[in-house]
Amino acid sequence: MSESPVLELVELGKSFGSLPVIGGVNLAIAEGERHAVIGPNGAGKSTLFNLISGLFPASEGEIRLRGRRISGLAPHEINRRGLSRSFQITNIFHRLSVFENLRIGVMARHGLRFSLFRPVERLGAVNREAREILERIRLADEAERAAGDLTYSEQRALEIGMTLATGADVILLDEPTAGMSREESDRAVELIREVTEGKTLLVVEHDMSVVFSLCDRVSVLVYGNILACGTPDEIRRNREVQEAYLGEELA
Amino acid sequence: MLARILAIALLLLVLVAVPPFIGIGWQNAMVNMLIASLFAVAFNLLIGQAGLLSFGHAAFFGVGAFATLHLMLAVEEGALPLPTPLLPLAGAAAGCLVGAVAGYFATIRSGVYFALVTLAIAELLHSLAPHWEGLFGGEAGLSSMRLPWAGLAFGTSLEVYYLALAWTSLSIGLLWAYTRTPFGRLTLALRDNEQRVRFMGYNTHATKVIIFAISAMFSGVAGALLALSNETANYSLFATHVSAQVVLHTFVGGATVFFGPIIGASIFTLFAFFVSDATRSWLLYQGLIFVLVMLYAPHGIGGLLALHLRHWSRLRLRELLPGYLLAAASGLGLAGAVIFLVEISAVLFSPGYQAQRRQLETGYPPIQLFGLEWVPLSPLTWVVPLVLAAVGALLLPPARRRLRLAWDRILERAEAERSSGSLEPAEEVGR
Amino acid sequence: MEFLVISTLNGVIYGLLLFMVSSGLTLIFGMMGVLNFAHASFYMLGAYIAYTITGLVDFWVGLLLAPILVGLLGVLVERYLLRRVHAFGHAHELLLTFGLAFIFEELVKLFYGDFPVNYAMPDYLRFPAFTIFGTDYPFYRLFIGLVAIAMFVALYLLLSRTRVGLVVRAAERRPVMAEALGHNVPLVFMGVFGTGAAFAGLGGAVAGAFFPTNPNMALELGVIVFVVVVVGGLGSLSGSLLASLLIGLFSSFAVGLDWSLAGAVAMVGLGDWARELGGLFTLTVSSISGTVPFLLMLIVLLVRPAGLMGERS
Repeated sequence: MSESPVLELVELGKSFGSLPVIGGVNLAIAEGERHAVIGPNGAGKSTLFNLISGLFPASEGEIRLRGRRISGLAPHEINRRGLSRSFQITNIFHRLSVFENLRIGVMARHGLRFSLFRPVERLGAVNREAREILERIRLADEAERAAGDLTYSEQRALEIGMTLATGADVILLDEPTAGMSREESDRAVELIREVTEGKTLLVVEHDMSVVFSLCDRVSVLVYGNILACGTPDEIRRNREVQEAYLGEELA
Repeated sequence: MLARILAIALLLLVLVAVPPFIGIGWQNAMVNMLIASLFAVAFNLLIGQAGLLSFGHAAFFGVGAFATLHLMLAVEEGALPLPTPLLPLAGAAAGCLVGAVAGYFATIRSGVYFALVTLAIAELLHSLAPHWEGLFGGEAGLSSMRLPWAGLAFGTSLEVYYLALAWTSLSIGLLWAYTRTPFGRLTLALRDNEQRVRFMGYNTHATKVIIFAISAMFSGVAGALLALSNETANYSLFATHVSAQVVLHTFVGGATVFFGPIIGASIFTLFAFFVSDATRSWLLYQGLIFVLVMLYAPHGIGGLLALHLRHWSRLRLRELLPGYLLAAASGLGLAGAVIFLVEISAVLFSPGYQAQRRQLETGYPPIQLFGLEWVPLSPLTWVVPLVLAAVGALLLPPARRRLRLAWDRILERAEAERSSGSLEPAEEVGR
Repeated sequence: MEFLVISTLNGVIYGLLLFMVSSGLTLIFGMMGVLNFAHASFYMLGAYIAYTITGLVDFWVGLLLAPILVGLLGVLVERYLLRRVHAFGHAHELLLTFGLAFIFEELVKLFYGDFPVNYAMPDYLRFPAFTIFGTDYPFYRLFIGLVAIAMFVALYLLLSRTRVGLVVRAAERRPVMAEALGHNVPLVFMGVFGTGAAFAGLGGAVAGAFFPTNPNMALELGVIVFVVVVVGGLGSLSGSLLASLLIGLFSSFAVGLDWSLAGAVAMVGLGDWARELGGLFTLTVSSISGTVPFLLMLIVLLVRPAGLMGERS
């Protein structure tokens, strides 16, 4: 298994003014891997995602996607290179229909970014694909409903669908089960497993059962540093991690 | 769908067939209505669809007018034998070009800052134009003539009207078609959540520049039509007033529905034509209507209409009629009181009346208003607005209560239908 | 030399006047995020109310009452109108103030006519403060400057030395926290809006007696005040003061300068060629004196929207 990692973080650091949030983060994620990033609140997990997806530039270090540098690129350029992220606070198009929300992503995948001269209904392939994704995230019944009118977990499912619609194969999910009940979480996890089949997945999570059922490897981020990295079992048994976490979430 | 096509066909039929039978004054008013409608729809591309509020759209309107006038001058001198009906192309080209440049810079910023950039650009042009003879004709502006083409003299206001109608219909049709294209859908997404659009692989700055250029292009066409109609243009086209009017028209008509701005522009221009002889306070009424709409009907008249259309099958005349009748009565009472007070004040404070008073030395001479004579010092005079206002104020709470009840029921029915499976199209511009 | 001194004096005083009006605008934006398009209307209303009271009672009573009445109007506007549309978003607030500016202008035209009114200072104030280079410099001009300085000092002391000022500053930075600590933040907003309006009204009352008082004064001053507030930095009082003086001085000097590009290249003998070209080359500084502020505003907005002294956010 000497494949080069699909996503690599090299000595990644970020400070806001004089406030360091992340420092010396090194991480290599293999193709097809399902990787979770866990850690206490304020550890810098969201910042990590924001750095990788290009929301703001890193202060030090590099981010490489398939060996090519993506740190410093704009979010839309990173997305076109095949990396897509979801948001912890649902970030959908409230006034458009569910179907339309997905179609925006599919249009981008087909390079239809400045398409002014044909009606959107005639885009056969695009519409078909959008419908496919709609079915896979199990929202086919809500196709025409305004996205802002969906229930919370339906919106989270749409959030994941939109992240996939652009055809990226490296998927970053930011707390996908935030605010969900046990049942909803279980269903969400099943959905995530299905739709990210064959893709590389990086998930920020607080819910440990989600991490255990979904992920191959786990990194623990504490005070902006990676404390430990390994399989879920290894992490569970790690003394340092237990101390850092005060045992709460490793129940 | 069919109903909509029929409605538009009927409207076009009226617009084509009726004008030969109305006077020149009316025809001119209709031309102004067409120009204002196109300008408003073009403006709304930015705010209603893309969510970008521009306070300086007069810039592109004016640029379109001046470009067209330059082309007209060139045609007049024989340098360019362009058919008169094609002249608005100059407005389109100039609007598009200047819009692209202005938009490139303006869309670097967002929100209030974006609005201020657009304001600055318009003010820049407004202050520069009167001093720039070559491009803008200095303070006097530019003037030219419509030249005949293909047997049509383009001398009468009727011919100008049909030219304007053709261009306006074509332009608005294109702007409608825009909303059905992938880029048009992207524009709506941009308004909802620009950040997400960016993270889905779109260069939002480039996207916004194109939207801005298109909006400016059609604003330029509207300006071109004005230049053709008036055969003149000067720097006052860049004034705040022009930018203000299009904002008023758009929001009173409703920015969230495609045809909203057309309604606002049409109502205001036609009413201005009707009413400007009867009262000099027309602009005050316009401002009051705008503020009232902003406070109580943020989606404008178009929004209200769209609401009714969307729930058409669920409306019950029996439930709604009492509420609407009460609301109408209340509205008439309050409006009547306001109009009375404004009009009588206009007379009382006018220089003419002050002169009359000075002649009599004491007392207040009677005032002619609404075909009746009013004695200012008599309490009877002031009882009228008082009673109107009282009636209006008293009827308002029951009107609101009934309307709220009726609409609660309508929305309940909608909710029931939704959960039983029959679906609702999402609320969006163009739908 | 005469030109230099007079222009400087005029410029500083005009700048101080701009500051009287822009201080309220920038405070309101900094605190409530609302760019009040109707702010210059308060300036205009101050002038007209002072004019009316002067006609009925006395100039000084007018000067005293006008700002108070305008301030009250500001409070009413904030409480009953602005607060209502707050829920619809910033764009709606902007639009509402825009509509109000429109209405105020039309109301003034309704009651006072669409032409200037003869609002003037009483005769005993019409004396020269000093004579310089043979011209008399009117005392009233200095008076305007003095009122502005007094206002600035009062504002500074109020904000930095009093409890009310402390609460206002806290509410500006952290409104939610200030409210959580028990302060009535909506009341503070109302007070700030009203005070800002009152200052603008004072500016109008004092300046209207010297400069023309007409329904167009809100629009004319309004756009310049926007430039000032942007260049100084939205939300920054000191930036507003600095920018006001800058723009005041520039306007004052530029009006008297007949420099042009053609004049400049005439120094190397290309004057006639440039004058033939016309267009941009023959534009004099004095004729584009109205344009430069907007150019400056554009540059600031595009390059450094925080302005001279605003906070980067």
